[in-house]
Amino acid sequence: MALIPTLTIKDTTTFSDEINFSVTDSLTVAAPAQSLSLETVTATGGNHIIIPAGTAIAYLFVRHTGTTDGSTGTAQLVDLENTDDEAFARLGAGEWLFMPFNHAGASVGVQLQVAHASNVLCEYAYWTKG
Amino acid sequence: MATTTATVSISSSDLQPGNALSLNASSTLMQTGLTTGLELMEMGKGKLTEASAADALHEPLGTANTANWVYICNNATDDTHYMSIGIHEEIIGNLGAGDWMWMPWNMVADGEINIEAEPTGATIPYEYAIFKSTYTLPAKT
Repeated sequence: MALIPTLTIKDTTTFSDEINFSVTDSLTVAAPAQSLSLETVTATGGNHIIIPAGTAIAYLFVRHTGTTDGSTGTAQLVDLENTDDEAFARLGAGEWLFMPFNHAGASVGVQLQVAHASNVLCEYAYWTKG
Repeated sequence: MATTTATVSISSSDLQPGNALSLNASSTLMQTGLTTGLELMEMGKGKLTEASAADALHEPLGTANTANWVYICNNATDDTHYMSIGIHEEIIGNLGAGDWMWMPWNMVADGEINIEAEPTGATIPYEYAIFKSTYTLPAKT
């Protein structure tokens, strides 16, 4: 199965020259995978494991919806942690990331945790490298 | 105001029978507080050798809890050559040949980004871009 991710960065206002670049890849992916899903994240990361512990490389997409429930806005930050509780990224409202998660071959997964006591609705998906 | 947008599209025609994937998400890169855009950018490319072990792509010079974004692409053509990506002591990903990543990065005191070529003998061309909130200019010597 093939997955085609494309990143485009654009900026026409900051500098006197325009930033406009795009990169595309073709990834071979396999099971296990998780289709686009929603998770209401709280301050307890262990309750929001979005990739179970495993040693394979997982292509991970996570987006902070900027809401607590799909309609009520929130600016609370969401941490991405491995399941050993080590944080490696923090998303603000509306932000997203795409990365090939792996922890040097150790059997760990990924969990989401709100930095303060609050709910944040996040969208996520992952695909295992084939 | 700086208005830099990052957009991802992820598509697949064969993940699920009869249900093609077509995902799109876009965000404007903002400093902490989400009201001011990022105004510092660093781009470059290089070659990473396995013999040099882990190298810091960027030192942790920023103030804690700043918002920054990093793009890294492994431009190797040998499928066995991958980049190990880490933040300080924590390995967070393996970037295969041709693969890219985009993620936020918090430049805390000990949070440098590390990159390392694998396996033994590998030389990996790579490119990167870092969008930063703040940067302290070096003192005059």
